[in-house]
Amino acid sequence: MLRIEGLSASYGSRRVLHEVSLEVDSGEVLALIGPNGAGKSTLVRAVSGVIPVESGSIQYIDATRGSLDLLDLPPMQRARTVAVVPQAAAMPPAFSVWEAVLLGRTPHLNFLGQVAARDEHIASLALQKVDALDLSDRRVGDLSGGEQQRVLLARALTQSTPVLLLDEPTSNLDLHYQVSFMETVRALAHSDGLAVLIAVHDLNLAARYASRVALLVKGELQAVGTPHEVLTVELISAAYNLPVQVVKNPFSESPLVIPGEI
Amino acid sequence: MSGKIGFLLLITILLAACSPTGSATPAVGSMEPSASTAEGATPITLIDDLGRTVVLAAPAQRVVSLAPANTEILFAVGAGGQVVGRDETSDFPADALALPTIGGYSGFNLEAIVALHPDLVLAQGGGFNSPELVASLEELGLTVFSLPNPTSMEGMFTNLETVALLTGHEQEVETLLASLRTRVAAVDEKIMPLSYAPTVYYELDATEPSKPFTAGPGTFVDLLISRAGGLNIGSALEGQWAQISLEQLVVANPAMIILGDAAYGETSEKVSQRPGWEMLTAIQTGQVFPIDDNLVSRPGPRLVDGLEALARLLHPGVFK
Amino acid sequence: MKIRPFLYTLLFLVLVVTLSIAIGSVFIPPADLGRILVGWMKQEVLPEPLKTFAFILTDIRLPRTVLVLLTGAALGGSGAAYQGLFRNPLADPYLIGVASGAGLGAVLAMSVRWPYSFWGLMAVPAMAFLGALLTVFLVIALARVGRTVPTTNLILAGVAFGSFASALTAWLMLRSTGELHRAIAWLIGGASQAGWGPVLTVLPYLALGLGALILSGHSLNVLQFGDEQAQQMGLPVTRVRTLILLAASLTTAAAVAFSGIIGFIGLIVPHVMRLWFGVDYRRLLPLSIITGAGALLLADVFARSVMAPQELPVGIVTALVGAPFFLWVLRRARNQGYW
Repeated sequence: MLRIEGLSASYGSRRVLHEVSLEVDSGEVLALIGPNGAGKSTLVRAVSGVIPVESGSIQYIDATRGSLDLLDLPPMQRARTVAVVPQAAAMPPAFSVWEAVLLGRTPHLNFLGQVAARDEHIASLALQKVDALDLSDRRVGDLSGGEQQRVLLARALTQSTPVLLLDEPTSNLDLHYQVSFMETVRALAHSDGLAVLIAVHDLNLAARYASRVALLVKGELQAVGTPHEVLTVELISAAYNLPVQVVKNPFSESPLVIPGEI
Repeated sequence: MSGKIGFLLLITILLAACSPTGSATPAVGSMEPSASTAEGATPITLIDDLGRTVVLAAPAQRVVSLAPANTEILFAVGAGGQVVGRDETSDFPADALALPTIGGYSGFNLEAIVALHPDLVLAQGGGFNSPELVASLEELGLTVFSLPNPTSMEGMFTNLETVALLTGHEQEVETLLASLRTRVAAVDEKIMPLSYAPTVYYELDATEPSKPFTAGPGTFVDLLISRAGGLNIGSALEGQWAQISLEQLVVANPAMIILGDAAYGETSEKVSQRPGWEMLTAIQTGQVFPIDDNLVSRPGPRLVDGLEALARLLHPGVFK
Repeated sequence: MKIRPFLYTLLFLVLVVTLSIAIGSVFIPPADLGRILVGWMKQEVLPEPLKTFAFILTDIRLPRTVLVLLTGAALGGSGAAYQGLFRNPLADPYLIGVASGAGLGAVLAMSVRWPYSFWGLMAVPAMAFLGALLTVFLVIALARVGRTVPTTNLILAGVAFGSFASALTAWLMLRSTGELHRAIAWLIGGASQAGWGPVLTVLPYLALGLGALILSGHSLNVLQFGDEQAQQMGLPVTRVRTLILLAASLTTAAAVAFSGIIGFIGLIVPHVMRLWFGVDYRRLLPLSIITGAGALLLADVFARSVMAPQELPVGIVTALVGAPFFLWVLRRARNQGYW
């Protein structure tokens, strides 16, 4: 389980996260929603260790490893615990998909980056899971947005971590790829027992594919709970400053948020 | 990890402290001077401009000159027949042009120098030929002598004696020196009683006509102008190549302009056409003269020619 | 790991080394070369002119060849490292002002009249070396923000300090006009010293620096994804970048100490290697080192033979030949992003 307690972070003098506390269980997908500037990306980046944390703690707890204080860990160990699928991230265009995904094994390799058969097996398995094995020899720069996101996901999976963070991975994807991506993530969380924290823009994707939702507004956690508990008219219209209607999604049991007019 | 870095740094420092003090000896012999010691001949021992003690078993018979002044000196003391190679810029006397060149503008060709089997390489000190070059030639087993850059006429005379000693022309150089000293004395005699010393602007470079370069204090040009009975306006400035602004030049208003850059195409017509220069008295009175800069800047015997040339320009009434 | 790129580049290297030993301003007929080799094997004293030829080979051509190889290797390797470190195709070993610092050190040394001794003669290369290293430390210190050293800051600080150092150098050169020619000759670059001294002096630093760079191939691969992704993949980014920067700068400093500022090799060779052999830095670094050595040696052979006995400054040859060659290679790969 990923346990975040009282996390606060600032950019210079501006406080962007205020005492956020969350828990993500293994096998669970927790969706982080909120308006722009709410701190969703910041939270993901803070957990992955790329921005400094002012106060609070981030721990990973499980049966075998006990309790790991992520803030204390050197980058290598941290990367064995937490993997990130960044938002529409730039990848050097000339790398092949295979090379890029294999680099996900870095926290498990020596400083020369020597790769064993097992590492290659894990990488190829990851590509299979995201249905991108046939892209292996393609250059990263030649891929479409959707294909690139899948490669980034495969890379994160190759890192073989118990925690998976995704930072708005579906922003640049078309409808088809949004759905297929989210279905893959949910399936992986269940099959591999991953604790998945995913920051999403699209409320309905969050509702449909997450087991729990956390609403972040101006750096503060407004609500955490099942999609039904969080995606209510009161909470959403207040958070986004917009009248909304919430109905039932005809394809699933989840709520469907329909934006109104200002 | 920082422990490893510290260890690596230590190794680096230790390796640096063990720098070699000499080169590996060549696999097959080294260059030896081809001159043999004559019976009863005493070796020639002199200290050069870099403080090195140079020993020649006998007067040098195969000399390579690395500077045009050195070439002129060699020929002047009668050692022209003993010179086997010259630098590209050596253009006097005419006999020198037939000699093979071994570099000059952009470095010297070590292979070419070695292939000439010299028993003496004559370099010019004071920065003209770099110490690295001397060290390289020494490394190759060659005998190098670096002539000091003279700061006076006597200094130049001493260099003539040095070269004569190195090449076995002690008697000829005495004749040469006597004649040179007489000529210099003749100029001094005529200059002494004169009360008028015209101010002179000696131009070294005017690529930028509003900020040309002139000969500063302590240069040979400066020295010779004084000795020839003139006042170098550049002596009030700083540096060997002293930059003067047009404004300063107008204020100084020299009586005479001498074009040391005549070899690069400057003429009195061109100078009079420079914007702002028409203010100068020297241009209005037509006192703009070209001169062969080599006569006054190369530290060789032709400095006396240069002195006489300047004296003729500065005091035409006295020197015909 | 693919072998073929290494075979090609090593073959190129061997060819150029052969050329370098065979060509010089003194023409040594191939038959004589053979006789010299035989004489060496039999350990006999050679007659003239073979004796002089042999001497030229061992004391002038061979040390010069090795020094130029080492310099080219250093420039190729550090160029590849700088490009990888800054993720910038325009990066070269002199990006953060190393050249200007070295030049300032050299010219400062030249304005003092050192005694003619081992240490006196070492003054110029030693101060050039120190100037280069001090510049790097200074620029890193200036660019530091908290615990990180952002790339943009590094480049800006490097350019700023570089300009400052260059201006200071120019002023110094104008002041001591007696040494002007010597200073220009040094700055333009070229190896014109005899003997093995420079090679032996430079070798430990190059071995250290290039060795560290070759081992950094994997780290550079990871860094290509940006500092954030690299950190998220487990790389201690600031520490690794600083180490690579120091290794590359040490290498560059050793390269310029005796050979002056030679451009284009560090910029172009890694690009050509990338175009032909791909972006994997574990391969790119050693290939750039090998090809950098060969390319600079080729330029040097050209520089000393095209107008013999006069020598062109090698930096001019690398610019004149390197730039059009690079444009040609670039045009052929125009449609592919090879970065």
